[in-house]
Amino acid sequence: MLLIIIVFFVLLLVGAPVAFAIGVSGFMFFLTSDIMPLSIGVQKIAAVSQSFPLLAVPFFVLAGHLMNESDITDRLFKFSRVAVAWMAGGLAQVSIILSTLMGGVSGSAVADAAMEARILGPQMLSQGYSKGFTAAVIALSSLITATIPPSIGLILYGYVGQVSIGRLFMAGIVPGILMMLVLMVTTYIIAKKRNYISEGAEKPTAKALGQAAWDAKWALLFPVLLIASIRGGLFTPSEVGAFAVVYSLIVGIFGHKVLTFEKIKTAFSHAVADIGLIMLIILMSGMIGFAIIFLQMPQDLSKFLLEGLTNPYAIVAVILAILFVAGLFFESTILVLLLTPIFVPIIKQLGFDPVHFGILMMTIVTFGSMTPPVGVAMYTVCSLLNVKIEEYVKEALPFMLAILGLVAVLLFLPDVVLFLPNLVFNR
Amino acid sequence: MSSLVVKIEFFIGATLLAIITFLVFIAAVMRFAGYPIIWSIDLAELLFIWLCFTGAVRAMRLRAHLGVDYLVARLGHKNRLIIESVLAVIFIAFMIVIAKEGYGLAVLNKERVFGDSGISYYYVTIAVSVGCFFLSLAIIANAVEAWRSRNTDNPVFIFAPKPSDDGTTQL
Repeated sequence: MLLIIIVFFVLLLVGAPVAFAIGVSGFMFFLTSDIMPLSIGVQKIAAVSQSFPLLAVPFFVLAGHLMNESDITDRLFKFSRVAVAWMAGGLAQVSIILSTLMGGVSGSAVADAAMEARILGPQMLSQGYSKGFTAAVIALSSLITATIPPSIGLILYGYVGQVSIGRLFMAGIVPGILMMLVLMVTTYIIAKKRNYISEGAEKPTAKALGQAAWDAKWALLFPVLLIASIRGGLFTPSEVGAFAVVYSLIVGIFGHKVLTFEKIKTAFSHAVADIGLIMLIILMSGMIGFAIIFLQMPQDLSKFLLEGLTNPYAIVAVILAILFVAGLFFESTILVLLLTPIFVPIIKQLGFDPVHFGILMMTIVTFGSMTPPVGVAMYTVCSLLNVKIEEYVKEALPFMLAILGLVAVLLFLPDVVLFLPNLVFNR
Repeated sequence: MSSLVVKIEFFIGATLLAIITFLVFIAAVMRFAGYPIIWSIDLAELLFIWLCFTGAVRAMRLRAHLGVDYLVARLGHKNRLIIESVLAVIFIAFMIVIAKEGYGLAVLNKERVFGDSGISYYYVTIAVSVGCFFLSLAIIANAVEAWRSRNTDNPVFIFAPKPSDDGTTQL
């Protein structure tokens, strides 16, 4: 196992694409094993693709790109603006609401952060928001997309950890909305203190709000339909993914009347490359995943953890702390693929619901993308807005504390996460 | 790299994606209507691995694969190219072994049938070999291009995110 770990880290450090770092290090196991033939390694790569739940990945990726080409971002932006721009810290509140709404359309935190940095960033700066604050709000609010369905991360967690993706989707909704509220309150307090108030802003009339909502109706309806069709296991998440593609085509062509053949081609072009890069990592992780189970890593680690600690909450808290540290350095996909098979058996043994743990894990590992030293969302936003990392960190601190506080609350109150999936799936 | 190959790769990838979506959509609708089609999902799963590798090759040509170039980006471009070329050789060797083993496995799998559809598992396993072959070609093409244009900052593997990057090719 040590050899696998060393090869993995060395390859990653010298700039190898993650898919190959995972593939070559996983292959080391078969190369050095006396009992495992190399062909089993290939078998493990092929076997990954033979999973119906994973088909949800290409569908939701494609649906997200199709919706991006269909004017949906623009309509959701206008709606968010009308709804909350009048509050203290108005544009910051818009950024938070927009992340929540976009989370229901596409599942990518980095794409969301980049989009908002371009649309909202310059406006916020010109209204006198400090640079660090602007970057912090935009980057951290994209964390909301991590748990709001459809989330690619949750699909992967469900696949690797053998957890119902439908239940995970349901479980992500309430934490996502709570995250939105927590960030909005934090923004409100800071904005009040600094007097970040939009000039002459008034509460929207019901008519204006209704009009903006009506313009964005297809986008706002999407998450509702998504939830309704997964409800009670009527359709699987993969089937719903295929519906989502068809839905976004119909909305783009007939609803908003903007989706041309050229735009569909662009969406497919982005989607094919995105699917390729995500799926190659997942296929290649088939070998290392097998090695982790074969070498009994979960058993060893759980023995180690259970020896020192007895309180299940303490153990889960330690696991989350490990994930937090790992998240500082690694991209969330890798962590979900490599650490889910290790941690899920442990938390199940403790009597923890893997759906509950999945939401916490997804939030924590995605959070790493908003923090130094290697946060992709942070770098993207800071470079787009030309903000120094130190400024960002200083202004992001209250938001980070608020997020960690929420994670702690969710850890100790499982029902907040689980009541919705239990209600929907009648358990 | 000749743009024709890139266009063909895109066409194959987009077609596969469209077919898979259609297959799963139709299967779900028909099952709901009470007329389940058995082979539809099987065929979708078979095509899925081909889509994955076609997409992976496309992402390789676009240098869009995820990675940490934090360290190598600081070593100077010439050093980076040397490191990446060494990596390229390792990866191609790795993929040749995988492709060879995959072919052997595919032949063994010829008799194995997939689900209730009667499709041979051969077509799944062979995708790994074919995929690795084309990935190797894409890496070679990238490396050649990077060395030819070594005065610009073209890497073999990963483009660093630029301010103009809209994040669409990232997770």
